[in-house]
Amino acid sequence: MNNSEKYLNAFVETFGVDSEKAKTLKYQSVDSWDSVGHMTLIAALEDAFDIMMDTDDIIDLSSYEKGMEILAKKYDVEF
Amino acid sequence: MAKSKLEVNTLSMLGQRGTLGLTLAQLGATDSKIIALSADLRTTSGLDRFAKAYPERFINTGIAEQDMVGIAAGLANSGYIPFATSFANFSAMRANEFVRHFMSYMNENIKLVGMGAGFAMGMFGNTHYGLEDIGVIRSFPNITILSPADCLETKKAIIAAARYPGPVYLRLYGGSRQPIVYKDDFEFKIGKANRLTEGSDIAILATGGVVYDSLVAAKSLNEKGIHAQVWDVHTLNSIDNEAINEACKTKMIFTIEEHRINGGLGSAVAEALSEVSCSPILHRLGVPMHFSKAGSNKYCLHSFGLDSAGIEESIKKYIND
Repeated sequence: MNNSEKYLNAFVETFGVDSEKAKTLKYQSVDSWDSVGHMTLIAALEDAFDIMMDTDDIIDLSSYEKGMEILAKKYDVEF
Repeated sequence: MAKSKLEVNTLSMLGQRGTLGLTLAQLGATDSKIIALSADLRTTSGLDRFAKAYPERFINTGIAEQDMVGIAAGLANSGYIPFATSFANFSAMRANEFVRHFMSYMNENIKLVGMGAGFAMGMFGNTHYGLEDIGVIRSFPNITILSPADCLETKKAIIAAARYPGPVYLRLYGGSRQPIVYKDDFEFKIGKANRLTEGSDIAILATGGVVYDSLVAAKSLNEKGIHAQVWDVHTLNSIDNEAINEACKTKMIFTIEEHRINGGLGSAVAEALSEVSCSPILHRLGVPMHFSKAGSNKYCLHSFGLDSAGIEESIKKYIND
């Protein structure tokens, strides 16, 4: 999988949605993206990209798009 | 059963409270007898998911811990499996008489959860630290006390508690990113301590969050020629005889807990050793019998010598004395 696919897969697996839906997600926009879902997503992203995210970034990751921006800017993930 | 490294890491990221919320939501899906109660700490207990999925099985009593235990008693008596949750100091002490009468005396099948035990409440200060809860509840008959070392063990302890036919007190620590003790799946059995390392010089019996710190200290001591056997003592109402017997084969025993040195694990081990005809000297490492300044969890553990460096230093000092 390339990085974009890994990133998308983390959302699909964590929140149980299809790929198109995943790309539209924001925090609390679906029931499964609650606080527990959020930390589950973070663990999935950290596992997928072998990174450890800062607390501020964990809090800031509020949408699918925002997450890509954070990973690209601060964790050198190329999409 | 842990399926993967990802599950272990996810649980660690959630912390013990998040693990409680996730596990209860999973249990609630297959067992309609599971009920969650909260004394107005729903979100901070990780119970949002359970409450949204099963609103008829979530009860917020408000800041009324005694009432919460009383309601849990009625539910248990009617065949339900209630998990009554609050911070450790409130669960054990504010509701104390109700715990004694309903859980200990009447043996109702209540699963009482004490979150934020030890110094986990950080800047909330001494009024919110759970440092005496084990001592208080250990003096009551019939209550099984579980103190898991990490989040995978927390999940297993919650499942075991739900299946256990009797009252349980479950002590939870720490915040998110809790250190991992168990990277792989393992067997969790109430009453059976887990031996984590081999060693014949000293025995370290630890419980809860400081099990991880004890392992780090033991590794460092091992490099210096002091070989420690480390035990995760997750059941505290009675201490596993095997752990006691094996510890007695070493030259010195240490107990380590994020709890007052009186009343908790150290006292329980001391009581067990009093029945042994010839046992090595016991040193109890824990929170001393005085109040101190409040601070972050990390600061408090360090100031009482309960982080890995402090544990190692204490052990070396006692060995050299």
